[in-house]
Amino acid sequence: MDWDETAIQRWLEPLASRPGELAEVFGESLWELTLEWRDGAVREAGLRQEEGTGARWRHAGSEQFVFVAGTEEASVREAVRALRAAAGRDTLPIRPSRAGASLPDGPPSLDQDRWPRRLSAAFARHAPRHRFRWRIRETERRVVAAGQPASVARRRLLSLEGRFTAASRPGDEERDFSFHAPDADATAAELKAALIAAGAARDRAVPALAGESDVVLAEGSAAVLFHEILAHPLEADADPSPLSALPDARVAVSELEVHDDPRRLDLFGGYERDDEGTAPRAVRLVHSGRIGSRLTDRAHAGPQGSTGHGRRAGPAEPPLPRSSNLVVAAGSATAEELLRRLGNGLWIEEFRGGSVDLAGGTFRVAFPRARRVRRGRFADEVGPGVLAGELLPALENIEPVVGRDVRVCRSLGWCARGGQVIPVQGAAPDILIRRLAVRPAL
Amino acid sequence: MTEETLCGELERRAPGQWELYRKSAESRQIETSRSLRRVLWRREEGWAARWWESGAPRFAAAAAPGALALAIPQAALLPAAGDPPPEWPSRASPMPAENPVEPPPDLFEELARAVAAASRGQARLAFLGLRRGKAAERVVNGAGLDVGQRHQTFDGVAQAIGRQGSRAHEVRLPFRWREAPEIEALARRLSDAATLPLADRPAPFAHGQWLLDPGVAAGILAALAPLFTAERPPRWMGRGRIAAPGLAIADDASGDAPFDGEGVPTRRVLLVEDGEIAGHLYDLRAATRAGTRSTGHGVRPSFRTPPSVSPRRLFFEARTPAAPEPLLASVRRGLFAAALTAPVHVDLERDRYEVEFTGISLLAGRAQGPVAGARAAGRISELLRRITGLSTDLQFFAAPFLTGAPTVLVERANFE
Repeated sequence: MDWDETAIQRWLEPLASRPGELAEVFGESLWELTLEWRDGAVREAGLRQEEGTGARWRHAGSEQFVFVAGTEEASVREAVRALRAAAGRDTLPIRPSRAGASLPDGPPSLDQDRWPRRLSAAFARHAPRHRFRWRIRETERRVVAAGQPASVARRRLLSLEGRFTAASRPGDEERDFSFHAPDADATAAELKAALIAAGAARDRAVPALAGESDVVLAEGSAAVLFHEILAHPLEADADPSPLSALPDARVAVSELEVHDDPRRLDLFGGYERDDEGTAPRAVRLVHSGRIGSRLTDRAHAGPQGSTGHGRRAGPAEPPLPRSSNLVVAAGSATAEELLRRLGNGLWIEEFRGGSVDLAGGTFRVAFPRARRVRRGRFADEVGPGVLAGELLPALENIEPVVGRDVRVCRSLGWCARGGQVIPVQGAAPDILIRRLAVRPAL
Repeated sequence: MTEETLCGELERRAPGQWELYRKSAESRQIETSRSLRRVLWRREEGWAARWWESGAPRFAAAAAPGALALAIPQAALLPAAGDPPPEWPSRASPMPAENPVEPPPDLFEELARAVAAASRGQARLAFLGLRRGKAAERVVNGAGLDVGQRHQTFDGVAQAIGRQGSRAHEVRLPFRWREAPEIEALARRLSDAATLPLADRPAPFAHGQWLLDPGVAAGILAALAPLFTAERPPRWMGRGRIAAPGLAIADDASGDAPFDGEGVPTRRVLLVEDGEIAGHLYDLRAATRAGTRSTGHGVRPSFRTPPSVSPRRLFFEARTPAAPEPLLASVRRGLFAAALTAPVHVDLERDRYEVEFTGISLLAGRAQGPVAGARAAGRISELLRRITGLSTDLQFFAAPFLTGAPTVLVERANFE
């Protein structure tokens, strides 16, 4: 993307001439490589390149949004011209592009050789029978907003999702697997370790029993629950939200500290600039057990400005205030202590999705399996099942013993809201919660 | 970079074994809530190439022909196992004339009044997104195919919140209208889905008859769709009759589009007839693997992914459908499932289903009271065999693909 940012700023000026008006242009260039693996061989291989420009004008309760394919000057002009016409401002004259339709830069090095070789070896050894989709996506996002410095942000993200056959004590069984991470030196080793752990031999699971149970959310899986019950309710456009009316209210034990931190670039949901060009900051969602701040974009910003949580699935979508990386601070309890404190209940290490009903103040998260704990000792395998409850009682029922090791939840990767899917992630220590409703599931 | 250049490059790489797809789309959308009115206009263009080079399938997609030309050689470097190329269709069909896309009407206030009336003030409309769109698709291939088609869509999503005392429940429903807005039907669905879960009552019966609203029945049918596309159907399907006598399931999108995403003509396919398996859905590649011909079910949800086999307009049919009222009157003791409260879960291999819903308990054909939440679970094979009644009120819903169902009566189900 070779943008004349000064010229774009000039085009946007008439759209931000009144107090409270927001106007910006967002461009994205994306390369994505997808490999469909099946039992050690790539059955489908695909490469996608996309460029698009989204332009937005917002004032009070009104918003106009335009998307056009391409990021060359003609596309930006077309988007701004349509926006100015829709907002009733002077139209931007049609001019031939100086450079004509430019080609995108050549593809970045997506490691067409390196990653398939690594994956091939890891699958052959640890999950020879499988059906996986592997994606590596590189994006460059550029924002030019009226009255703000222009910004650019680049990310390269890896995702592996699918099913594999694991040899287990009672025989072969199909297991889901998902792993999402930014591309980094240690990612391959981390993925291999996750595959080994996912393929470990297990006992035959017995169906989960319906009723109330105390649970320990281990191996970072608490991030999934807090993503649903804290991050979504504290997104600034969450209306109604059971938490928005409770600023600074004590809702949990003082040992609970939860942040949303987009600056954690080691996590899947991290970024250096949000999709409105704002440098993000970590936001306390729960501080010493009290409700903290909301996650804001520019349209919902308070006096301190946006927290840098304006996010969009792509250039064809307007930005919304969304969460990024849910991070829970460490406590001091060991796993043994948590097991002892749990006594009887469920030990859950993995979730496969969740949802929240903000108006009703309820949530549900589905787990593929769990370990039953009896008298502080691991007993039989249980699952799959669903944990459900109400947000505020669930927060109140968190015990003041928080695990001392914070673990990244790499299975948490994509969050859908209103049809927009964005990368998110989280990291959390082991958390003990009393009296959650459990029921069996398919 | 022109289309001819791209075709030439594909022909050079894979003589006769390639396909080039182009889509251009435009949509106008209005999103309205109590605090914001957002107007969106989108103009999208996409190009996709699929070809068999060195015996292996390749795919590349881009938003412009120049970018696709850059992506093709890169995609050719990716590792891929060999797979036989399909038998490509070959025919020519010119692109129909273009119609302009009109902005959708602003129906928020009208729908809000209808939701309030249908729910007797217990539910309010919180959000409405309405979109009108048009798309033009063109497919050419190395066998001489050159077909074009245009679509128009009118769809959206609505969100309502039901309140009763201190309790509240939120529901978000996607919908698709054929031509004119169907405000009353949408308002009724929103009202039921938002207010019934607020009732105190759980399911009063552990088992009984199960009457399914068309939306619930369509949700179940959509979840079962992989039965008709899987290369290896589950073992339980091979045991003769899979559904009740008189029940048929068909897929027919011929009224929507003349071709599928691979340029194969659309046709009606009968999948279940009189309770027995009668057909299967194929795209070009699945047909090649099965040694048969495509049924015209190569579907492209967007230009970004290669076409794959999927239903296009799947629906229940009955030999002798009944009016909804006699079907309701025939329920001696059971539950009416008015709306789903969670996505339908199925395990096709293990022959299991699980449906969470909200509805009304029925006794001797009369409503006894709302049921906040119930869960029906059991064997898919039993569920299909126990369908004893289908109504005349066939309706279509926007699942990942259009799915149609009338009110359906299941003779016996287990509830929790």
